[in-house]
Amino acid sequence: MTVAFAFLAGMTLVSALGVVLSRNVVHSALFMSGSFLGVAGFFVMLNAPALAAFQVLIYVGAVTVVILFGIMFTQRPQARRFGTIINRQRWPGFFVAVGVGAFLAYVLSAEDWGSTRPGNGPREVAAFGRDLLGVSAGSEIFVLLFEVASVLLLVAVVAAIVVSRRKRGEGVDRGVRE
Amino acid sequence: MPPVPPQVQQVIEALTASPALEAYLIVGAIMFAIGAWGALVRRNAVVVFMCVELMINAVNLTLVAFADYLPDAGGLGVSYAVLVIAIAAAEIAVGLAIVLAVFRSRRTVNVDEINSMRG
Repeated sequence: MTVAFAFLAGMTLVSALGVVLSRNVVHSALFMSGSFLGVAGFFVMLNAPALAAFQVLIYVGAVTVVILFGIMFTQRPQARRFGTIINRQRWPGFFVAVGVGAFLAYVLSAEDWGSTRPGNGPREVAAFGRDLLGVSAGSEIFVLLFEVASVLLLVAVVAAIVVSRRKRGEGVDRGVRE
Repeated sequence: MPPVPPQVQQVIEALTASPALEAYLIVGAIMFAIGAWGALVRRNAVVVFMCVELMINAVNLTLVAFADYLPDAGGLGVSYAVLVIAIAAAEIAVGLAIVLAVFRSRRTVNVDEINSMRG
């Protein structure tokens, strides 16, 4: 377990640094999917295999593809110098991030979490499904959250279409002016 | 099978032991900080979105670690993580639609050149 943990931690954190530091946007997207794969491995180690499957399907699959589409539509050929990908808040941003990370790591490790032991996660997919649908005792709130999430997804789909739609009569579609 | 010497036994036990809860929490904290750094300093709006996704994943990792390690959590953090994934997917769809709309009107996605709402 320790070996797997070290491997996954290295993969996740190195890929996360690659997202921030790589000069090519497509490389950033691929590093991001590598980081998500590392997190999926952590989910397997944490007794949540169904969530790991969701992570691979949604993040490594869908979100990466959507972001690659966004890159295809919006990127012009650009200079590859390091100074051009970073804005003017380079050092303030770095110090804020280091401060946030150090503060979070300190608080999370200094806090006394009581008796912790692994193995409490819903390893059976059936128990996980009962939790998610609010059937099992103590998870009744998930009935409401499930419905709210479904309404929010519908609103987001409609909003994405409305926002990104081209107005009639403006712009050129595949060389044909409307 | 020959008996294993105790030192080797200790090394094997150390390698197969489960990591502590704090190890997962610290990995999540570092990943969150890297995502925050990228969201603050990168100029490309699409990369800023990727860094926000990294932060969301770090929080998900923390939630699932708590759900697995705290006996009283009842494993519900995993269900919350599913909801977080759904909402993050909605966020990335709407966000990329906004980026496309901005690119169509301004021909750029650099966040420090989009300043028409500056006071």
